[in-house]
Amino acid sequence: MSKLRFTVALWAAKLSVVALKITKHNGTNFPGVVALKICPDFLRHIQKPRHIIGVTGTNGKTTVCNLAIDMFRADGKIVLNNNLGSNIDSGISTALINGVNIWGKCRYDSALLEIDERSAPLIFPYVKPEILLINNLTRDSIMRNGHPQYIARILTEEIPKETKLLINGDDLIASGIAPSNSRKYFGIESMDTDINECINLINDMQICPKCAGRLRYSHVRYHHIGKALCPECGFSSPECDYVGKNVNTESMTMEISDSGVSCTYRLLNDSIFNIYNVLAVVSLFRELGYRREKICALLEKVEIVKSRFSEQEAGGYKIVRQMSKDKNALGASRAFDYVSGRPGTKELILMMNCLGDTKHWSENICWLYDADFEFLNKEDIKNIIVTGPRAKDYYLRLKLAGLPDEKLTFVEKELEAPSSLRLYPGESIYVFYGTDSIALGSRVVENIKKVITERGDRQ
Amino acid sequence: MKIEVLFPEICNLYGDLFNIKYLKDCLPEAEIVNTGLKEQPLFLTEKPDLIYMGTTTEQGQIMAIEALSKYKERIHRCIEDGVSFLITGNALEVFCKDIYEEDEKVADGLGILDLTARRKARKRFNSLYLGEFKAGEKESPIKIVGFKSVFGYAYGENYNNELFETERGDGLNPGVKGEGIRINNFFATYIIGPLLVLNPPFTRWFIKEALMCNSAEIAFSEAAENAYEDRVKEYSDPNTGFYY
Repeated sequence: MSKLRFTVALWAAKLSVVALKITKHNGTNFPGVVALKICPDFLRHIQKPRHIIGVTGTNGKTTVCNLAIDMFRADGKIVLNNNLGSNIDSGISTALINGVNIWGKCRYDSALLEIDERSAPLIFPYVKPEILLINNLTRDSIMRNGHPQYIARILTEEIPKETKLLINGDDLIASGIAPSNSRKYFGIESMDTDINECINLINDMQICPKCAGRLRYSHVRYHHIGKALCPECGFSSPECDYVGKNVNTESMTMEISDSGVSCTYRLLNDSIFNIYNVLAVVSLFRELGYRREKICALLEKVEIVKSRFSEQEAGGYKIVRQMSKDKNALGASRAFDYVSGRPGTKELILMMNCLGDTKHWSENICWLYDADFEFLNKEDIKNIIVTGPRAKDYYLRLKLAGLPDEKLTFVEKELEAPSSLRLYPGESIYVFYGTDSIALGSRVVENIKKVITERGDRQ
Repeated sequence: MKIEVLFPEICNLYGDLFNIKYLKDCLPEAEIVNTGLKEQPLFLTEKPDLIYMGTTTEQGQIMAIEALSKYKERIHRCIEDGVSFLITGNALEVFCKDIYEEDEKVADGLGILDLTARRKARKRFNSLYLGEFKAGEKESPIKIVGFKSVFGYAYGENYNNELFETERGDGLNPGVKGEGIRINNFFATYIIGPLLVLNPPFTRWFIKEALMCNSAEIAFSEAAENAYEDRVKEYSDPNTGFYY
């Protein structure tokens, strides 16, 4: 019966793939949704590639997967993946449906799957990666993810025992996942930007997981990411198998050593997230048996997708689109930190409201109080325009961060926000948008250009 | 004025600590005393003007219970003597009789409250909250707005000390209208996050009556009132969904 149900589910899903192609709706999870509706344990039955690599964690999953897929492609290898769909069970199902023929026979030898950490209970009973890369575990959506220890517990309970883990050893929450699984760690030895005390509001690893003593950090990158030691019981961050060192954001290089041999790799972006993403990908390819020189060569052929950060010039101003995933305090803090550290006079438009929530209920704004808006209280940030459904909440939060009224502007509608720009000569204008407001963010950028042109014409 | 914050190294989820940062903005002269898990609480040797504990992890609840269990009698006495407590989110469960996950008991609580906390291992209960705080017989009720994001609820047969009366959203559990607990100046609520920042009228009352500070005005009052008024209006609109 279950075999029959699976076959019906597969054919229905395959038909939906054809229908979606005809109607030009590629890249949705619909086939997987159809399959799971008809056959709830569809993932158990579908034939999978012999080798599966999984990538999970809070931040960087998509970037790591895209980089790895591009590097495989540059090496002439096509791996099954879900980079056009989602990373929950229906997205994984859709990818696997695309990987089999109408008779259910898998056409791929290998798969690289981005796996939503919260969806582990729906995926890992059936999809058992040989290697699972865990990039980090940090706070995410309060409603969905609770807190990182909760996600760590889910992963520990769900990750297959036979899966080998490749974990960010600079993340003590991630490092503790599934302790009985075999594992290797990657981490960065030290960086010029290291501090030894967390300055972020979110700091989820302050006490020793063994004895509850206060941890002492020798290196802090951001939040709880860094290297720690418990002076009371001697517990410490794990020794890493892949060690990043001599990170140089001018030459855009980083040395990574393993097994006592060092090699210099190209960095693709100077943000700390992306430095870790390169380290993760290099570690993964080394685990897969790639030679160091080969990985170097492959890294030369790939780029980080720029949908999350892009800049353009308009009338002597720089306009920067900065993705800040909505309801994600840690992501916002990283973006605030990065932008506030960039040189020059700036104006900001904050519009990362969760527009999806507006349709169903009202956004839970507690995350604003986990995010480091304090980073925006800088001399060279001259004006912050808050706009959209939660603009008054942003305004209040920025007041608590110490920003004076004269630096804050409230504009109800996002598209009208550019009119309130002051346009200081040569400044940069940053538009912070969320995953729900990508298209709206683009329209706001167009309106900024119009405002710049209009004011230029008037002068 | 002294405000003791219990275990900020673990009781710090969802922006709860902004309740204290905001009080500090309202009361610049207040001294904030952070008490760590392995430190002796200030309330053992003196009576702080406020004792605060915020949302934590499930493991954090167990640690907080372990750290406080030897001071149960002292906590009882503080409550009887009218010392102010503000307990937010699942820190409320630390003060319950016991905590169950699914049907299995995972911890004895402090037993200050005659309640049993029951949670699900894999389920989040998310809602907005709209309710009222009744300050006194002669005073108009104060609207309360906020958020709930919890793994479970608290249940008790003799529950009649509610802090807020629920208009929309869940009470202490889905079967009751009352939300939170008030015993003398012990205030505990499942509402998470910056409750005091989001509720300026309640904060005004709290500072005056619970902290007995008549002169203070709340910080950033105009911005706080603007956000509050919009939120009350939004949550009172029957078209606004309440559950996630």
